[in-house]
Amino acid sequence: MFLFLASAGAAMNAHAQDTLVVDSVISSNRSGIENTLLGNIAGLRVKSWTGTPGVQSTINLRGLNIDPTDKSTMPLILIDGIPMIGSPSDVTGINPLSYFSADQVERIEVIKNIDLLAAYGVQAPNGAINIVMKEGKSGAIHVRANAFAGANFVPNNDYKKDAFYNFNNMARRDVYGNGGIVNEQNVMVDGGGDFGSYLFGLSNYQDKGYIKDSGFGRQSLFLNAKYNISPKFSAHFYNNLALTSRNGRYAGEFNRELPLPVINDEGFVMDKKRNVGLVSFVGLNYQFNPAFKASTVASLSYEAASRDVFVPSTVLNGNVYAASVTSKRQLITINTSVNYLHQFTDWLKLDMTLGNELRTNDDRLTSVDGQRSLESGGSNFVKVVTGYNANQVNALSDHEMEKIFSFYGKWNWNYKEDLDINMVLRTDGSSFYKNKWALYPALGVHYNLKNTLNIPVKANVAYGKTGILSRPETYRGQLSGYGDYYGGNELGVGLLYPAFADAKSIGVYQLDAGLSFDINSSINFSVNYFNKIYKDFTYQRYLPNISGIDYEYETGGSIGLSGFEFNLDGKWIHTRDFSWTTNLNVAAYKNKVRSLPADIQNTSLAYLGALSKGDAVTSLIAYEGNQQKVIGNSEAKGFGGISNTWRYKNISADVMISYAWGADVAAQSFTSTYFADQVSNNFPLKSAETPYYTTSTDATGRTIYQGISNIENASFVRLNKAALTYHFGSSLNRLLSISDMQVFVRGDNLITLSKYSGLNPEENITGIRKRDLSYTGTPLPASLVLGLKLVL
Amino acid sequence: MKFWKLIPVVLLCVLTSCKDSLTTDLDNRTVAEGYYDSAQKIEQAVVGGYVDLRRALLANYAWLMYGEARTGDLTVTVNYQQAVATQKLTSDDRYVKQLTDWGYFYDVIKDANDLLNIINKADASILNNNQRNLFKGEALALKSSAYFYLARIWGDIPSAEKSNFGVRLSNQDAVKMAAAWALEAKGLLPWMLINDDGIESVSLTNIRFNKTAATSLLAQEQLWLGNGQNAYDVLNNTFTAATADSLSAFGLSVGADRRTEIPQNPLDEKVVRMPLERFNTIYPTGDTRRNMFNISTADNTATLIISNKDMLELLPLREINLLFAEAAWRGGHLSEAKTYLIKAAAGAKEDYSTLSETTFADALLTERRRMLPGTGQRVFDLIRFGKVSTFIPVFTEADVQNGAAYWPLSANSLKGNSLSQNSYWLSKN
Repeated sequence: MFLFLASAGAAMNAHAQDTLVVDSVISSNRSGIENTLLGNIAGLRVKSWTGTPGVQSTINLRGLNIDPTDKSTMPLILIDGIPMIGSPSDVTGINPLSYFSADQVERIEVIKNIDLLAAYGVQAPNGAINIVMKEGKSGAIHVRANAFAGANFVPNNDYKKDAFYNFNNMARRDVYGNGGIVNEQNVMVDGGGDFGSYLFGLSNYQDKGYIKDSGFGRQSLFLNAKYNISPKFSAHFYNNLALTSRNGRYAGEFNRELPLPVINDEGFVMDKKRNVGLVSFVGLNYQFNPAFKASTVASLSYEAASRDVFVPSTVLNGNVYAASVTSKRQLITINTSVNYLHQFTDWLKLDMTLGNELRTNDDRLTSVDGQRSLESGGSNFVKVVTGYNANQVNALSDHEMEKIFSFYGKWNWNYKEDLDINMVLRTDGSSFYKNKWALYPALGVHYNLKNTLNIPVKANVAYGKTGILSRPETYRGQLSGYGDYYGGNELGVGLLYPAFADAKSIGVYQLDAGLSFDINSSINFSVNYFNKIYKDFTYQRYLPNISGIDYEYETGGSIGLSGFEFNLDGKWIHTRDFSWTTNLNVAAYKNKVRSLPADIQNTSLAYLGALSKGDAVTSLIAYEGNQQKVIGNSEAKGFGGISNTWRYKNISADVMISYAWGADVAAQSFTSTYFADQVSNNFPLKSAETPYYTTSTDATGRTIYQGISNIENASFVRLNKAALTYHFGSSLNRLLSISDMQVFVRGDNLITLSKYSGLNPEENITGIRKRDLSYTGTPLPASLVLGLKLVL
Repeated sequence: MKFWKLIPVVLLCVLTSCKDSLTTDLDNRTVAEGYYDSAQKIEQAVVGGYVDLRRALLANYAWLMYGEARTGDLTVTVNYQQAVATQKLTSDDRYVKQLTDWGYFYDVIKDANDLLNIINKADASILNNNQRNLFKGEALALKSSAYFYLARIWGDIPSAEKSNFGVRLSNQDAVKMAAAWALEAKGLLPWMLINDDGIESVSLTNIRFNKTAATSLLAQEQLWLGNGQNAYDVLNNTFTAATADSLSAFGLSVGADRRTEIPQNPLDEKVVRMPLERFNTIYPTGDTRRNMFNISTADNTATLIISNKDMLELLPLREINLLFAEAAWRGGHLSEAKTYLIKAAAGAKEDYSTLSETTFADALLTERRRMLPGTGQRVFDLIRFGKVSTFIPVFTEADVQNGAAYWPLSANSLKGNSLSQNSYWLSKN
């Protein structure tokens, strides 16, 4: 086992992208492919913000938005180049990247550079992660099986360090516990020949986490088959069907705004979440001649999510609450392209692709929820919501649909094998905007200096544009029901906000430059620089109150993100009996405000009002007295990972350490919360807390002051993964016809070194440990498993 | 070559996707564009205007706070009643602050202007002539009513019309504009509205603008402007013997609002009361109008008897004779005025036949106070009759001249227009 990281220019179509061969790195005990990527790719930040199993870690790949909590910083997720729904469902919070086992994955390509990204247009402003699945290998049949099992635990769980300390403390300590089982079993059968190849299998994964009686489970069936219909005509079928479930626990993870006191016995709380996730595609490929081929791929990424909740009266002061929500998300794409290779001379070649893509998102949501007070004589627990009347029950049905129709062209010129020029042009037409079409061009140059200058250096530079879609309400307008006027059913409706005629996507302009040195045949060092500029955000401009509406939309503002990414791969020792390899990656980023709208206090970007040009967009902002000021930065200045693999004869050891530095956490005080009118609009200072406070308004428009008790540094170094493996190799082959067998012990999140006062320095998504603990994760457990891999 | 057979299939796929790709059609979702494609949907927009008017008047019991609760004739059992009754209208209390914000009234104006656009765009296949006239009349009446309330509550106000948005309108100019819309509405609106079954419906007519209501509104506006004769002509020309059977009151229907703070029983006897002492002052023993109230000596209060709890009357039928009386008097027809006042004040002990030009105003004001409790008009009446400092004694006549009778402007209401706080409220900040 060694770490394999190919860098710029390795292959003609793989410029400036990082590729992670999954079998060469330590898999995670936690579900979600992102946990396998964590720490292994320069510039890919994966934040383990919660210990709740089945929940997605925050994934950021050179992503920035004006609202840092926005989902829109998520990279595009591709399966074999086909887009899939990658963000977690709002209903269940189950991570679509947990629909697969890491064992199904051959390699993961992390695409950061603009001359590749522009080909995805408005889909990939924040980079793309292409998960390439394993295919059948030649041979009649192979059977591969692997399994692991172990337990979760939180080392040194001091309950006073729990983010939830001071709130619902006893109940929470009751539901936390070491020893939640985590286990996985996979079986894969594959083969290949002239007919093509096949691979199918099934997988089972369970993680009971750290909160008793909760947990996550996945069962999946998958098929990856290629069939050569004729020597020129081939078909590719891929299918992955996953059933996932996630059970919640009141004291462990529910909203902390529920009223106190809270029960200890939660036997009757129900919170069941279920996802059915399907990723499927069919591709057809026709090779007319060696230089010319046509292909078309139709794909479906589908997710049905449901959640059922019941909270008994002992929690809700005599009321019972029940809710049921189902949602469907579906992404259909059809991508048709022709590819043409032309050799002008011995030293000039052209690889050209022209294609079009149709992408349709169709989401539906139906929900019913209600609360009912307990009638005398009823049981505390068996009473269900029967009063389906307007006062008690809310019902909602919603539908959202978006279509993008695109044409794209990619031209790759290769000169004397040394110089590559990538030209990309994509145009996206969307169903959203009045001005439908947007153009995304990019140009990249990659040069290998080895032959001409005899220097082992590859250099690349690229510039181009992508875009981020606006939210539906801006281009669709808003019509609202006001309420009954008479007869109980004559609904008043008003045209609140007309569609924003000038709505358009946010423009993202990206510059990349990089150098890669082969210091010798065993050591490669690369440094990449990027600079992204985001322009034309859509925001609300608040109108005077004689307008009859609260705001209108405007576009403007500009922010920037730039950074350096360093990567070092070293094969220090490579002998028959002993080898040692290392990967070190570091990314140092800076984001900043470039320009903000005039009179920003009268816009929906007012929260950025304290920032001026050059300040970080991710600044933490609070009031001191009547002045807003920057009190920290929620984003890390730098982050990365160090992996080492040592092998001695049949034993190998892997260690991956992840780290980040420079992020701040502002903790809201549990005791300094005031209504502004009750303290005469003067925030009262407390001696043990900071003088800073934030303001918000409650449902009735009353202003609330929230004090900040302290600001801490959330820098950390974490022993993220470690594994010890014994390879039986071919010694069992003669005896038991086993081609390979490995036994391993593997640990996740074993040690975290940080000055942060809580349990997990990454637990606050927004960089603010909120009083109600929204956007804050549950304790992140460590886990230790024993596993076995077999190849028959 | 079998493959070639696939080309048309692929082409078909591509072309079909091309054609349909850039339009989307959503279920279960109301989208602004193209929504108003039927009379029923346009009627929903009309109803939206009434719901906003209801919010403007009912949120925080505003219609009483601007009226009888401010003079102490009625008390509302809410914390901010005291601040309002003692004229501490720049108080830090957030509900008082909300009362100084005119946002909801301008919402009504926006609704009405949107509605007029929608009606203009709708062709004959969507709206027939009757529907067009009705909806347009309602939009104009809603707009007129909103401006009239704004002018009576705040004095000078900004325009929210496209042609002069944000421009300061003097009180007179604002009401003149409102009167022009009320006049147009009066011409368009029917006496009686027809319900979904095609039958003239009294209950429906009661809660939507109708010809009676638009006429009363117009008369009120003309009286506010001091055009007594105009008002008298409007009333005389519209309310004739022939139309006597077609008259209808106007009020707000009460129903469930999406905003939960809007009371569904606005004159609830547990909330809105008249102190017994005040009651006895207004209605001397023997006055039969005492029967409009339930009297509780134990609680020391009188509460209004509400015959129809489904609506809150704003322009009751019983006001028409009072309007006639005032219009006749201001138009210089004292004897007719006395006749109308006597008709209006049935049940009074006083002998109004002996009233003179100098005593008529007081008698009329007294009778309006007796006949119209709970309609929110008391302070407007005091301003029109020049009696604010008499009945709100914390104000001197100089205070009233400086703008004390009007409400102060909230911080929000001072933004984005050319208005400033009047000198009285500026001195109280």
